[in-house]
Amino acid sequence: MMTLVAKGLSVSARLAGQTVTVLRDLDFAIEPGKILGLVGESGAGKSMIGRVLARSLPSGFVVSGGSLAFSAADGKVRDLVAMDGADLARLLGDRIAFIPQEPLTALNPLLTVRAQFDEHLARLGVPAGDRIARMIDALTQVRLSAPQSLVERYPFQLSGGMCQRVLIAMAFASNPALVVADEPTTALDVSTQATIVQIMRGLQRDHATAMLFITHDLRLAARVCDEIAVLYAGEVVERGPARIISQDPQHPYTRALQAANPPLRGPLTRLVTLPDQMPGLSALASLQGCRFAPRCPTRDASCETASPELRLVAPGHWVCCAPACSGSRPAVPPITRRSAEASGSEPILVVDTVAKHYPGKRDWMGRRGQGVDAVKAASLSVRPGEFVGIVGESGSGKSTLAKLIMGLEAPTAGRILIDGHDVTAPSSATRSIRLGTLQMVFQDPQSALNPRRPVERLVTQTMEAARSGASDAERLARATALLAETGLPPELINRYPAQLSGGQKQRVNIARALCVTPRLLVADEIVSGLDVSVQAQILNLLLDLRTERGIGLVFISHDLAVVRYLCTRMLVMHQGVVVEEGETDAIFARPQHPYTRALLAAAPPDELDSPWPPAPVQETLDATA
Amino acid sequence: MRLSPRAKAAWRRCLTNPRVVTGGVIIGLMAVVAVLAPWLAPHDPQEQDLLATLLPPMWLAGGEARFPFGTDTLGRCIASRLMYGARIALYVAVVAATGAMILGTLLAIVAAYFGGWVDWLISRAIEVWMAFPPVVLALILLVGMGAGVNKVILAIIVIDWTRFCRVIRSEALVVMVRDYIAAAKLAGFSHRQIMLKEMLPAVLPLVITMMSIEMGIAVIVEAIMSFVGLSVEPDVPAWGVMIADARQTMHQAPWGVVLPVGAIFLAVLAFNLLGDGLRRALDTRLVLGRAEAA
Amino acid sequence: MAFLTLQLLFRRLVLAIPILLCVSALVFGILRLLPADPVGMSLPPGATAADYEKLKQAFGLDRPLFEQYLIWLGKLLSGDMGGSIFFRRPVTELIAKALPATLELVSAGFALGVIVGGAGGLGMFAMRGGAGEHALDGATTIMMAIPEFLWAILLILFVGVSLQLLPFIGRLGPGIQLPPPVTGFLLVDSVLTGRWDSLRSALLHLVLPATALAIGLAPLVMRVLRSSLLETVQDDYITQARLRGVSERRILLRHALPNAALPAISLIGVQGGFMFGGTVLVEMIFAYPGIGNLMVDAVRNHDLPVIQAVALVYCVLVLGINAVVDVAYMAVNPRLRLAGSR
Ligand SMILES: Nc1ncnc2c1ncn2[C@@H]1O[C@H](COP(=O)(O)OP(=O)(O)OP(=O)(O)O)[C@@H](O)[C@H]1O
Ligand code: SF4
Ligand SMILES: [Mg+2]
Repeated sequence: MMTLVAKGLSVSARLAGQTVTVLRDLDFAIEPGKILGLVGESGAGKSMIGRVLARSLPSGFVVSGGSLAFSAADGKVRDLVAMDGADLARLLGDRIAFIPQEPLTALNPLLTVRAQFDEHLARLGVPAGDRIARMIDALTQVRLSAPQSLVERYPFQLSGGMCQRVLIAMAFASNPALVVADEPTTALDVSTQATIVQIMRGLQRDHATAMLFITHDLRLAARVCDEIAVLYAGEVVERGPARIISQDPQHPYTRALQAANPPLRGPLTRLVTLPDQMPGLSALASLQGCRFAPRCPTRDASCETASPELRLVAPGHWVCCAPACSGSRPAVPPITRRSAEASGSEPILVVDTVAKHYPGKRDWMGRRGQGVDAVKAASLSVRPGEFVGIVGESGSGKSTLAKLIMGLEAPTAGRILIDGHDVTAPSSATRSIRLGTLQMVFQDPQSALNPRRPVERLVTQTMEAARSGASDAERLARATALLAETGLPPELINRYPAQLSGGQKQRVNIARALCVTPRLLVADEIVSGLDVSVQAQILNLLLDLRTERGIGLVFISHDLAVVRYLCTRMLVMHQGVVVEEGETDAIFARPQHPYTRALLAAAPPDELDSPWPPAPVQETLDATA
Repeated sequence: MRLSPRAKAAWRRCLTNPRVVTGGVIIGLMAVVAVLAPWLAPHDPQEQDLLATLLPPMWLAGGEARFPFGTDTLGRCIASRLMYGARIALYVAVVAATGAMILGTLLAIVAAYFGGWVDWLISRAIEVWMAFPPVVLALILLVGMGAGVNKVILAIIVIDWTRFCRVIRSEALVVMVRDYIAAAKLAGFSHRQIMLKEMLPAVLPLVITMMSIEMGIAVIVEAIMSFVGLSVEPDVPAWGVMIADARQTMHQAPWGVVLPVGAIFLAVLAFNLLGDGLRRALDTRLVLGRAEAA
Repeated sequence: MAFLTLQLLFRRLVLAIPILLCVSALVFGILRLLPADPVGMSLPPGATAADYEKLKQAFGLDRPLFEQYLIWLGKLLSGDMGGSIFFRRPVTELIAKALPATLELVSAGFALGVIVGGAGGLGMFAMRGGAGEHALDGATTIMMAIPEFLWAILLILFVGVSLQLLPFIGRLGPGIQLPPPVTGFLLVDSVLTGRWDSLRSALLHLVLPATALAIGLAPLVMRVLRSSLLETVQDDYITQARLRGVSERRILLRHALPNAALPAISLIGVQGGFMFGGTVLVEMIFAYPGIGNLMVDAVRNHDLPVIQAVALVYCVLVLGINAVVDVAYMAVNPRLRLAGSR
């Protein structure tokens, strides 16, 4: 007996007079005790299923066909799409439970954990006298220490990982038949992610719960799930056992997803990228035939007219692609990360044991709160053409270090040298030394690109500064050259940020930094907001810039695989301190510091046979409260 | 000037927003009447006809066609006085709101951009100002400076810059943490360039919205001050003066009060509708309507 | 909890002291810009130059400005607000008599405004998208387009004069004796001394002026509560509660409303302060013997000591109500409460 069976489930939306199929003919089934992974890039329609279940589709969106047959232990089969709202509400939170993406905002900020858990248990019919015991028991099962005092806390006194454990405990409190987890670890650090996954999977196995695990991370899904369905533009393009989908995918899109992920071990080859990105909702309406065709490396003429159907290629393995397409993979050249001129020459940038202390904010009484030592002691040096990676979890001080290097903040201790000039204290003199040598690419292009400037005036913004005095013609010429250099089509020159895709915005962001031909770029998490296929494009662009311009890079990221792909040397930061520094390959092979080891162990490895996740970490209350 | 598609879309939303259109049309008509008052008004606003005092509007029994809205205690034409009153009201609305807007926005952007002691000083000044009910501050300012329309305008600017400054400062603080401000610094922009080219355009929709609402507030403040006799000279027709005069006889002649109240209502309503419509069309986060007028 | 709240309130009030000092200097400074001559105006006809000088000295107007301020401040702190030039009585006495009336009026207006505004905001939210919401929205638009003092006049005209439903002059009907003064608050004194006739009359006299004040507050509370409810129901924890099967009613009352009330509370703090400003004209129009009426009389007669004292009293009241609302806000919001008590 399957717990959940989707048959031909379709969701459509009315958009500017047109009807767009957002989710097309979805078929899947989940057995009790099994986990189905739903993998796709942002906008693929992953979260629609959760919204269909919760009856919380955005306005204008409707279920246009199909069914979701749910059967709980009582053996009755109910269609979740057709059933009455009140009956559905009775199932929600009881037979069907949800684990959200953003644990910190998923709990009511004005109520204690106890009040919220109590409400849930009351609704499940647990008598008042038993509730606190049940609560403590459930929280102990998700390995929260000191649950008695934890329940009296408010959500803002807990870390994201702790909130997520509370939410998992609540989800499993009713021993549900089905749990839907929508990107449950995306908002968390890698080490927390590993623990959360382990807890979730443990509970799911113990209770023989069926689980729908929604994620954008194919590598994670491969570790967590029994079966995987890959979504592209609202369609399942491939479905099958997790091992097969992750190791030997057949659909060109799944293959591209796999190839776009830089590996954590083994030889590095240049990432194979797909052109463009997944079509948005409005583009879907005009798309004929295979929705992947515009980006597909193995398409032929028929693909653009006929929509392929899911077909069985092996037992339990379906692929949605015309039979002709399962071509061979292209051969790709290995990359070299070593740059010739790196060794020997003088460093461009030297950061010498800098520290940054933020004094606490005064509260309404005028008392200063506790300050933060965002960076305690960090040193690094970068030579021309060298790519240096900085990794660390959120709050480890990476962004603060970048701001110090760029002179956007003044360090409280230490020195910063550029070409031997002391630029520690931000001033107009140090600004102009930096201007020609050092530029920064910001993390979030949404925030880094002024929405009121067209591309031309964004990428040539430095030429607008008071002392430059460049003519309009010069600016236009420079902008055209920069677009070409960053692989942007010239017709974008008059567009505004809102009219660009995520990848294009990030290229504009890079182009702006290149305008003054700096010798060193500082890039803070510039690929973390991008889908893997777009991320691969940007990573390759950075490699090309080094080949063509000999540019150096300080690359800040929380993603070890990406740093390994790009950087010759790397630094590991932990709580404001550089705990380890060295050649990337050496650190990956023989991590010295325990924190580095834990960080490396927490990332899901590519090989499915190596054990993961590592031993869980106990989170203690006092770390955050 | 090249408008970004974003600006164009905002402009289109404004022009198709029913509130903006209604408010705009009412204000436009009032402005026309105010400007053309000397030609449109049937009588001189001060001309007394002691044989025709307290006449009702022409559509009521006893009304006369030559006094369309009737007359007051001195037999002056209410319609003509309303038209001339619109001149005072709109003059104060435009000049006072512009002044308060410029001062408040300037200080807000400077405070948000420089932070530190500049921000501290401006924020404390706002706190001190906020301790006064605006009417009370207006009264003591006018007692201090002496009565007069231009003094009323000055008082409104001195009082209401805080209204702009408070709201715009918090919006500007949101803009300040955007990376494009940091990017402009790294691009070598001067302080002035960053404030004028990057920050001001970002807060402009909010400024425009608040400006509209502030004009409504200025109309009210002028009415209050002329009501208590601290605004215009006694021989100048202003709506507040008309209400104060007619209050003595409102038992016999309620229209003498109701009509100027209606005029104030219409003007404030129009500015509020305009502001409310602009807020929606420009998608600013201002929630208040006629904030804290009296 | 109660002790903690009182402690917070006390600390919050202490913080208002520097502001109050600035305010007093500002009031004093502004009023010395005066081109008019209060001394000359308060002299009887036919007074001599010597009389003039004598009066000037009596008022202390011959000293340097800064000295005058310090003297005034010093006296103020000892409870002496000087003497009224026009009423020829100690200002403290005038204010002590008028203040309870104003506080009664503001409390009534405040309560009415918050209750009507809160109910209206919930109603608008509950009827969202329907005709009821549009009707209420239209009502707020009209309420906001007419300032309090004109509402006062309209209420007198339509409810008082035309329909003759409610009294609209002063605090008590003619022929009704004041209850013996105990606290100075008419309603309280009437209850304490069992004077039901004066209680009834005083309550009836409060209805119209309090309504005029409430009309200034209610539509704002309504709008803010409605829009913050609309925003709050989009929050993750609301969706999550729904996904746990919590009933819609419970979601609204237990989860959405307390969170949505926070912006409404801070608005009430600011607006509550402004409501005191509304009393100036409303009291004058209803001939209600509070400090607003006193202020208008003083302004008309350039009675400086009264003007500056009353202005200062107004600021104290505003800062007081801000402090009370701030503390209420902290009591509702655990994040601030826990930070404040640490
Ligand atoms: N302006 C600031 N004022 C006070 N504290 C700050 C400020 N900026 C950063 N911090 C604190 O400094 C620490 C390091 O922050 P930083 O942004 O450098 O971390 P990060 O490693 O980049 O994290 P993420 O990956 O989440 O971006 C954090 O505890 C953060 O809260
Ligand atoms: S059907 Fe054609 S276009 Fe679509 S994935 Fe297969 S080969 Fe590519
Ligand atoms: Mg960061």
